[in-house]
Parts: sequence; structure tokens; C-alpha cells
Amino acid sequence: MAQSPSVLGTPHQRVDGKFKVTGTATYASDFKIDRMAYACLIQSTIASGTVTRIDQSEAERAPGVIAILTRQNAPKLQALPEELTANGVPGETRLPFQDDQVYFQGQHLGAVIAETFEQAREAAALVRVNYQPGELRTDLLGLADEAIEPRISGGRVKLQDKRGDVDWVWANMPQVRLVDETYSTPIENHNPIEPGAALAVWDGKDHLTLHVSTRGVDLTQKVVASAFGLPIENVRIVCPFLGGHFGSKGFSWSYFLVAVAAAQITDRPVRLVLSRPQMFDSMGQRARTIQTIGLAADENGKLAALKHSTLTHSSMIDQYTEPCGSLTRLTYSCPNIQINHSLVQLDFTTPCPMRAPGEAPGFFALESAMDELAVKLNIDPMEFRVRNYADKDEFDQRPWSSKHLKECYDRGASKFGWSSRNPKPGSTRDPDGRLVGWGMATAIYAANQQPAAAKAILSNDGSIVVQSATHESGTGTYTMMTQFVADTLGVPMERVRFELGDTRFPPAPVNGGSWLTASVGPAVVAACNALRDKLISLAVEGPSAPLSGQSRTDIVIADGRISSAKDTSRSVSFSDLVANTGNPTLEADGSTKPGDAYQKLAFFSFGAIFAEVRVDPDLGEVRVTRVVGVYDVGKILNPLLARSQMLSGITFGIGMALMEGAVPDMATGRTVNANLAEYHVPVFADIPPEFVIEFLDIPDTNMADNGARGLGEIGIVGTPAAIANAIYHATGKRIRDLPITPDKLV
Amino acid sequence: MNNFAYVRANDIDSALNLIRTRPKARFLAGGTNLLDLWKMGVEQPETVIDISRLGLTDIAPRPDGTGLRIGALARNSDLAEHSLVLSQFPVLSRALLAGASPQLRNAATVGGNLLQRTRCPYFYDPAFPSCNKRKPGSGCGALNGYNRSHAILGQSNQCIATNPSDMSVALAVLDAQVRVIGPGGERVIPISEFHRLPGDQPELDTILQPNELITAVDLPPMADTKHAVYLKVRDRSLYAFALVSVAAALTIENGSITSARIALGGVAHKPWRVPEAEILIKGVRPDHAAFDMVADRLLQGAHAYRYNQYKLPLARKSVIRALSVASAST
Repeated sequence: MAQSPSVLGTPHQRVDGKFKVTGTATYASDFKIDRMAYACLIQSTIASGTVTRIDQSEAERAPGVIAILTRQNAPKLQALPEELTANGVPGETRLPFQDDQVYFQGQHLGAVIAETFEQAREAAALVRVNYQPGELRTDLLGLADEAIEPRISGGRVKLQDKRGDVDWVWANMPQVRLVDETYSTPIENHNPIEPGAALAVWDGKDHLTLHVSTRGVDLTQKVVASAFGLPIENVRIVCPFLGGHFGSKGFSWSYFLVAVAAAQITDRPVRLVLSRPQMFDSMGQRARTIQTIGLAADENGKLAALKHSTLTHSSMIDQYTEPCGSLTRLTYSCPNIQINHSLVQLDFTTPCPMRAPGEAPGFFALESAMDELAVKLNIDPMEFRVRNYADKDEFDQRPWSSKHLKECYDRGASKFGWSSRNPKPGSTRDPDGRLVGWGMATAIYAANQQPAAAKAILSNDGSIVVQSATHESGTGTYTMMTQFVADTLGVPMERVRFELGDTRFPPAPVNGGSWLTASVGPAVVAACNALRDKLISLAVEGPSAPLSGQSRTDIVIADGRISSAKDTSRSVSFSDLVANTGNPTLEADGSTKPGDAYQKLAFFSFGAIFAEVRVDPDLGEVRVTRVVGVYDVGKILNPLLARSQMLSGITFGIGMALMEGAVPDMATGRTVNANLAEYHVPVFADIPPEFVIEFLDIPDTNMADNGARGLGEIGIVGTPAAIANAIYHATGKRIRDLPITPDKLV
Repeated sequence: MNNFAYVRANDIDSALNLIRTRPKARFLAGGTNLLDLWKMGVEQPETVIDISRLGLTDIAPRPDGTGLRIGALARNSDLAEHSLVLSQFPVLSRALLAGASPQLRNAATVGGNLLQRTRCPYFYDPAFPSCNKRKPGSGCGALNGYNRSHAILGQSNQCIATNPSDMSVALAVLDAQVRVIGPGGERVIPISEFHRLPGDQPELDTILQPNELITAVDLPPMADTKHAVYLKVRDRSLYAFALVSVAAALTIENGSITSARIALGGVAHKPWRVPEAEILIKGVRPDHAAFDMVADRLLQGAHAYRYNQYKLPLARKSVIRALSVASAST
């Protein structure tokens, strides 16, 4: 059977690009409904204590106010089931309005619902809340002795783990071959360009449609249905476009439950959009981490022991733990490894995954420590990593599904010119007198696949719609899935429409873990294959079939037609095949789940990141002037989208290295820089002028279908350490506390 | 954001009349700072008086034909790119372009920039209980709080906030004069006196009287534009407030400094100039020792807090760097 040339692997531009640039892409806050009202949150201004009184008398008299929602008149919400709350799952598991306790600054105490957004906001400012303040817990280090040691984070990541005997090695290794240092990373907030937004629309007492900015329509449906005691099929979640999430959105968050409650008590559709400051307290953050890495190597530079301990925090109401050590256990070959995580509950908002959860801060620590030990051993940092190359996943004793990390090192080093590096810190200056430094790091990220399903619908006009309850967060899902459909069915991309972000579509996983393509792609392919099989049957089976008598395999499928391979004049279009059935459409379903290979093999993507920095020796300003990243992420399905993903990931890593950090005021628990003027993310001028991204593009034949492992988050992993290592190389100063701002270098 | 009345002033007299007669009134020019503060609830005007139609946008030599007169409503972008500014006062252009973002500079006016309020978080967010600037007598949240961006010079135990403007630092070394008009008529305020130190009235940023309106900023001619620089140290390449900034203008004849004007930003409640420091290097050769001496005097009495200790060495190094660059430029 022959088919049109594949569109997979081609640099196809975004199919949704024109909707975005013309403003016709509908984000959650773009939906408008008749009689729509606006809600504005009433938030706590203490971090710990009890609400004693909410005085809403002035707010009630404010113009345009329809209702004020507080605990007094809120619907009684039902506790979420254990699958949504146990084992440190991300998201706010405490539902709003259930008691008068305050657990963090900005906690939702209610909302004002008014005719306009401005009226709601003004009235919310007129609500006076009295508190009985409680004892304040904001000091992570000071409360470290109260830490618990959670077993699992995010419902699946093991937090306490070991193999071999680290302590014995530690007691018996010469001091010179040890590194034992503490590294820290600040609280970070996701700050996607689109804030959280919800529009709740009740249809009668027991049907609800929620337009909400979520990367998990199915999960959000479960949360809302559970909380409001509705049959799950009565709740529809819609989200055709997301303005990014970086790991926020998609879990249980109070604000959309407030919107639903507000719509319920007012009997109006209610829109609630978070402000930028609210993005710092209402939709998660990455917790601060204080990590200790212990490394010991033998005289040949082979790792003998590795310890990675993390102290971090959650909120008083949740136990999500930033899993910094999760991949430390298998990145390098080492017989003795110990991973620990300790968690202190503080009066801060609930943390949740943020791009490369665990790996981003974890690899800043691990890869900084690797650099420190390489320096101590007088071995080139890249060579040191090669000497400790892991030929298999030593932790679970599984072979890699596919690993070409050495080629990443070699190609990256060659592109970067690493071999000409003078290892002596401070040895190079540029013509402006700035110190030049080169650093590198290893990147690794799990290549997961999740169960997913899709439906393919062919119309009698020849157009194809494929649906799955997956998400478009700006990374290119619409484009990628359209490519899969066009490739599988042999039709032009223009004839395909992919639909997503709706609980009415077949289920798909939360968009995260860089697994979307590897999970939803196979389901889309399966649905299209099923549709193709039906078409072939219609074409060849039975005496009246257009290609009657042809064997199923002796045909050509191209350009929306099925033709005889031997006699191309015998041909029938998809549309005619549908028309012949007498039905307007022909449908097929497909669903996939990870195969047995997932039990036997370790699926990971790999990369090597090299960075050049220039540091002002007096003023401490750091500029990243050159980056080379080479990645082994399986087959590249769309080079344009893949490159954009990595540009974004690496840039995210640059921000993490040099500028990002939310700062809580220790006396009140309130964030002092909850705005984008002072919470710094990279601006265009911070992007390195020389930015090289390459992919090995070697298909992982153990992956489902197309050998693509998914990518995105791996760009962040290692980048902060590569930059910190480059800063050390430039200045001789080892900064172990992110972000590396000028004050730490003067 | 509270309900408010919006009125438009058609001329200066009507603007002055409106501000005098309307309760809790504020002038609205570019709005880049007022709207921010308003949305945060720091400002709650009952009337805004739109002064954007008053003209006051000219940028031209002063009436005597020398120097420059800058209308108070000239946009920061227009000022930064103006040919007379680029040729005669390049340090002002550089300072303006070091500030904010292009979008903000397109909206922000010169008068508004002069009145820009501090970025101290305890001031900016009314949910913080203590700020003497926002709520006199409530205390200073920054003193024992997160004070990384705060003052090391001229502060009081009532307030350690810094002035965030880049433009004002350049105006300080240009010996600008602020022209204002009010119920008592017109007056001219030297830039060095326009902003004030917090003392025990940190709620007052400037000596501008209630009901006064800035109409223009005058710049006397600058003899030597060669040796003038604006240096800004910040946390990212653009769109970040100064950790420390330095405006410096030197005149150098026959290898000796004949005059020096140096102002520091990001370190005090106002652009920080010390005439005694500038006199110190008159007649001396521009070298590291001389710059070090100036830095010593400029930073005399400096006091840092828990999170802004770095400003002591950074301010010193920034002064030395700025003077080195200024004296080396040809």
C-alpha cells in the first residue's frame, strides 16, 4: 500500500497562527454570554489566622453590585475524592468557603459580583475584613526541624530513595575528592502571559459549562463535578486556547470554583479573570528549595557516591513537594546514591509543578556540584561527565529505550568550540574588559506517554475533523495533530481540522510532562488508522464497491482518494465513499496507552547545554552571549515547533539563572514583587545573540508510532547550572544561590 | 479603583482653577505612574484633571536662545530622540532610554517623570500595614523588611525609599531648573531642591506645593558634552529599575578636570549630588585615585541595611566606572 509523502518532520507553520495574530483565537476570557456578570475576588491580607468579620455594608451599596459571595451565602462544596487530594498531588485541595481559617496571603474569602468588571473591582476594595491573626510561619530554615519526609510527590514521584551505601563511602573517601555544598533556588511564579480566567454558565440547576484557562479539561471537570456534587457528564469544560501555563492551570484552584459558585448564587453567567498580582497567590508557584549535594569520586574521576537532599516547603493545606532529586538517581553511573526530600509547611500559597518540576532546581544543584568536583579533580567538566556516563538506568536496572547523550556532548562541544577552553577561571576578557566564561551541563527529562483517545470524523464533503480533549498551550498542538492526521490519511493539511479543549471530546491527559505529542499523537494516528480501514473496506469490499475486487493492500491512498495500485484509473474519493453510505459522516475512534516497553525500558530524553557569559568584573552584570544546546529527543516531527519550544525552554532557564524570584516579606508572608516590573523574566535584550539549537533527530524505535519523545521542559534542565558554571569560569566566584543578580557578584 | 470625575483642562488657568476647587484632585498627564498607583489603591483621586491638551510639549532653546526649555508634557520618547538633546545633552537622552520600556516612554511625560513615586513595595501595596509615605505614622515596613532596592544615603528612620527616576538623575547633573506655576504665580526651582529627603515627612517627595503645576524644565547650556555618561546597573538588560545609577559630566582641559558634576540614582530619596565631592577633583588629573576620592566623599555617611549591603561597594565601583568612562571618552 502506498501513500503520499509524509508531512511529519516538515517545518510546517502553525495552523492556528492566523487566528492568534488576527485576535480570533478564543481564550477563556474572550467568551461572552448574554447577561454575563463580573466577579472580583475578596482576598485575605494576612497569611495566618482567622476571619472574625467581613463587613460588606459599604460594598453592597456600591454601584452595579449584584451580590457578594462569602462563606455566609456560599454553596456547601463537597470534599474532593482521594485521587484528587492524596499523595501530594498538585493543586489546592482545600476548597474555598469551608471555614474561617486563613492559610496564606491572598486566600480567597469571597467575591463581589457586579455588572461591570470595574464595579466589581471597586466594590471588592470596599469590603473590610477583620482577622484574629495567628502565629506566622515563613522561615523555611528556621522551621527545618519540623520538616516531614513525604514519600511521594505529585501522586507518583518517589521522594526517598537509595542504593548502595553512601555513608560508608563518605566516611572513607579522601577529602580532596569530595564536594559537599548547599544550593538554593527562590520561589518562582509561572506568569504565563494569559492569567487564570473562568466564565461559568449554569443551564438550570444541574448543568454547567465552564470556559476556563486549563491544561486539563478532564481533570477540571472532575474537580468541579465533585465539588458541586454534579454528575460528571453534566459538567462541560471548554478551553480551545491557552496563553501558556508553565505548569500552572489545570489543577484544582479556588478561583474557578468561586466563579462557579458566583454564577450559582446570582443565576447569571459570571466571568472571573485573575489579575497579574493574583497570579502570585492564586495559581501555584515553585517553592523555594535548599539542596545539599554530596559527591565523591575515586582517583580516576569515577563517581563513588552521590547524595542529594532537598529542603522545601508547601502550604499549610497541601503537601506537594518539589521533587529536586527525582532524576539524580539515574543521570550518572554511580554505585551509591541517596535521595531525600524534606517538607516544611509554611504560610505561603500552595506550590505546584512549574516547567521541569524538580529537575529545573535539582539540576542547578547537581550540575553545579559536578562542575565543582571536576574543578577539584582537575578534569574537564565535560570529560568528567563522560567518565560517569550511565549506560543504563542503574536505579531500576533497565536499559535505555534510546540514548545518544555522548553525541550531544560531542556535537555541542564542537559547535561551541569547547576544546579551546582555558580551564583557569578569569583567564579570558573581551575587548570591553568583561570577563568571559564558558560552562556546560547535562540535560535529561523523562519521556512519558499517557493514555489518550481521539475521534476522527470524515464528512461527505471530504473534510476531516479529529477531536481529542487535549490542549493548545501555545506550543503547537493544533499544528502537530493536524500533521499526524494528514500523514496518516494521506490528505492535505488544509482539509483537516483538529479540535481540542472540550470535555465532550475523547479523553486526553493533562498537558504536562512534555508528553502531549507522545501521548495524543498515537491516539490520533489510531483513530485515523481506524477510519482509513473503514474507508478501504468501503472501497474494496462487496460487489458494488468502487474498487471491488482489489486487495486491501494493493491500493494507493493519496490526496483524499483511494486508487488501485495497478490501474490508477480505478479511483474513488473519500467524500464519495462517505456519500455512498448514505450518512453525512463516517467516524472512527482510537485510543492508546503506553505499551509493555514502558515496563522494560527507561524512556528519557537527553541533551548537552553550553553557555558563554560575559561578566562585568566591577558591577556584577551578567550577559549570556552564546548558547549551544544539542538534544536527543527522538524524531523531530516539526523542526519549527521543536526549535521554538527549545528557544523558550532555554530562555526560561536563563531567567531562572539570572533574574527570576518571588520574594516573600518575612513579617507578613506577602510577596513584595508581585508584578512584572519587579518579578523579572528575560526581555528580548537578555536573549543570547548567538543561540544554537540542534537535534540529533534519531527516532526512538521503542516509542509509540513515530519515535518522537516529546520536548519542551528539557531546555530548562541544566541551563541554570551551565550559566552558573560559566560565571564561575569567568570570575572564580561560585554562586550557589539563584538568581545570580549583580549584588551577588560585586 | 474608585469612581471618579474626569475633567479636561483647556488651558493652564483652568487647570489651576480645577485643582484648587475640586476635592482630592490629581493632574493626569501620561498616567503611567498615576494609573498604576490608582489600580493598587495607593492613589484614590475623586477628580482627575486631564492636562494633556495644555500644549507644553515644546522642546526648544530657552527664550534667550541658549540651553533648552522642555515642556512639562513632552513625552519621554520625544525628548530622548530630540536632535537638540542628542547633540547638546546626550546624557539626558541616555538616561531616558535607560528607563522603563518604549511603550511607557511613549506615554510618560517629563513632568510626570519628575513626580514618579518610589517603587518601595511597602509603599506600593496597601495590604502592607506599614508605610510612613503612604500612611504617615504607620511605620516603615522596609526598615526591617526586604530592603534590597532601598536607600543608603540621606534616608531617615521614617523612610528608606529611593527615587526610581533615571531622567531626574541626568537632570541633576545638568543643573536643570523646574518651572512651576501655582496660585502664587510662577516660580523656578533648582532640580537639587525639587526633590526632598524623607526626614520626618516622607509623604512629601518634592517641594511642589499643593495646587502647583509643572510647566517646563530648563537646561542651561552644557559647555562640554564629550565627557558625560549615564551608567545604570540593573538586574536585566532592559525594563528594570536601577540598583545604582550614575550620571557624570566632566570638563577636562589640558589633561586636568576643570569641573565635575556627578549624581547617583537608586541610592537615595532624590538624585544624590555632593558639591563638596565635585570640588575635590577640580584641577586634578582624571585617574583612579581621584575617582576613588570622589566616591569616598559622595558616599560619606552611607548606611546600608540587611538586603542592600551590596550597594555600598556597587555605588563606589559605579562612580569610579562612570568617571573612568567619562574621562576616557573623546
